[in-house]
Amino acid sequence: MQRWQDDLQFYCMHFMPYLHLPEDHQKYDSVWVDFSNKHYDPKKGHALYKRYMAELVLADKLGYDGLVVNEHHATAYSMMPSCTVIAAALIPQTTQAKICCFGVPVNLAMPSRVAEEYAMLDVMSGGRLEVAFPLGTGMEYWAHPVNPATARARYRESIDIIIKAWTEDGPISYDGEFYNYRYLNVWPKPYQKPHPKIAIVGTGSPETVEYAAQHGWAYSQVFTPKAQQIKTFKALREMTEKYGHQNAPDKALFNVIVYVAETKEQAEKEAKEHIKFYFQDALRTTTRFLAPPGYISVDQFRQRASVPNIHGEFNWENLTQQWRVAVGTADDVAEAISTWCEEAQSSRPILHHHIGDMPHWKVVKNMTLFAEEVIPKLRPGGRRAVGGGEVKVAAAAGRS
Amino acid sequence: MPTFSKIFQREELTVNGIKTVMLTAGKGEPLMFWHGGGTFHGFDFAVPWADKYKVMIPFHPGFGESAEDVSVNSVHDMVMHYLEMFDLLKLDKVNLVGFSLGGYIASSFAVEHDTRLKKLVLVAPAGLKVPEAPSLDIFSVPGEVLGTYLVADMATLMPHLPTGHDIDFIVGGYREMTGAARLLWDRNYDPKLGKWLHRIKVPTLLMWGEEDRIVPAAQAPTWSKLIPNATVKTYKGAGHLVLDEKPEAVKAVADFFG
Repeated sequence: MQRWQDDLQFYCMHFMPYLHLPEDHQKYDSVWVDFSNKHYDPKKGHALYKRYMAELVLADKLGYDGLVVNEHHATAYSMMPSCTVIAAALIPQTTQAKICCFGVPVNLAMPSRVAEEYAMLDVMSGGRLEVAFPLGTGMEYWAHPVNPATARARYRESIDIIIKAWTEDGPISYDGEFYNYRYLNVWPKPYQKPHPKIAIVGTGSPETVEYAAQHGWAYSQVFTPKAQQIKTFKALREMTEKYGHQNAPDKALFNVIVYVAETKEQAEKEAKEHIKFYFQDALRTTTRFLAPPGYISVDQFRQRASVPNIHGEFNWENLTQQWRVAVGTADDVAEAISTWCEEAQSSRPILHHHIGDMPHWKVVKNMTLFAEEVIPKLRPGGRRAVGGGEVKVAAAAGRS
Repeated sequence: MPTFSKIFQREELTVNGIKTVMLTAGKGEPLMFWHGGGTFHGFDFAVPWADKYKVMIPFHPGFGESAEDVSVNSVHDMVMHYLEMFDLLKLDKVNLVGFSLGGYIASSFAVEHDTRLKKLVLVAPAGLKVPEAPSLDIFSVPGEVLGTYLVADMATLMPHLPTGHDIDFIVGGYREMTGAARLLWDRNYDPKLGKWLHRIKVPTLLMWGEEDRIVPAAQAPTWSKLIPNATVKTYKGAGHLVLDEKPEAVKAVADFFG
């Protein structure tokens, strides 16, 4: 297998949360599913979109290799109920970074529609698209007319349809358990052949890891404790080999929360409250919403019911020791990421630079320090060339 | 896991490939009970029926001790499951009691196969759309407070609830909610059921607790208008679990079967 060091790429992720929660928001058990959209102010939302788009565009200018967007519904946690809309807006404002839709929960849209929109983005961007297929959180199923008890079977059928639509010359027919297509014939087809790079998104359940491995796809592990991530990627490598596919470090994508500042104390001082907001407030939901009936297997439910629910909890020591949270100097962060890439045999850390309710200046500072001081420590060649050469970013937060 | 009265025997059947566990007690004509969306409160209310009948209480696929079968994902599949079971056990002219979800299955069964029934009791049956008194969507009720929706007096339920954090109880509840979701998530009624209820010709008893917060007793007139040979009994001071709450309701079932 290729060494992760030889293929290291840095993806910058954004959740685009709505920040202006009412003062008494902590009285609500959940900011998902039943947290009323009366709390959404579109004027404030407009300003946030402009700001968040600028942050992702900056990531391209700073030389990040990929811009990651994803999708959640009926929640203040995310203003991206359609990540393809955000991706389309990013394409003309960016030049080099891959546009990573990680992604549309395929069960919540017609599979042909997902195939079409992703193909559009790939053609529009000239082949800069990467996709990941999430099942969607349990919360998503409370807000859509899709039975969670059939979610996993429907998910696989949907992906099967998307791959066929991309790789076979249409029209073809598809006779499935959930969908029956007489003329499946998506226009356009993807720019990249046979299709954009695919990852399966999950928390590491063995069935889902095996599903990714069967197809030789990548696996993107959502934000979960380190030990669980290491286990997942080991299983992925073993199963990828078992199914006769080539292992590669870019098949392991893992999520990290990163904040870089001048000193460790400064970094903690600047980042901690926003990480706290992320776990305590943005992720806060109920166990019922997390696991609608049938969404996970009974065995998995038992496992989950036996460990604490992180949605709404915040414990700094636990987070920094057991999870992938790197808050410190450029050296601290570089060392942590290098260790984690080695542990996971991964060349694709997905960096969460905007965390919770972090203000713009901190996001820009964090991203800029990471790009200018951490990336060169981890990749001998430094940042990827932008527009034919290294670009100095004048707009980067007024740093001299 | 619920405990059951010692008079019940445990039988294991294979019904069209599905491991199906059935509790039985007593001797006589068959009296079969089809349970609702949760079995945690047990079936001890049914003990008096065993004085006169062979009581048969199968767990639906995906509930209690029966195995799940993900392909059993509609009420019609449940009707076919029980038709198979009747054939397997060579049952004919069964006295059938269906409660809540079990009442939805029983009324759907009776619409097509009432020749296999002697008499029918529907206890707070789900399955009918009654716009002026709609059934509660049970999936929208948090598990912690579901008990207060099931009974008029929580004292009835207390012996069946865990005292502390009981992982088996929580997991068991999730498993049965999954079984219920396969049948009821998309909608908790059959839009066509009312159109065909007139085909139930066997004598039918409709039974409700007047304080039912899940399937309101106010649905009784609609059911009794649609089923030609139906009588209605309601009980004050009882909620959805009227059989658990009112021994006289249990007795009325036995009296109705004669």
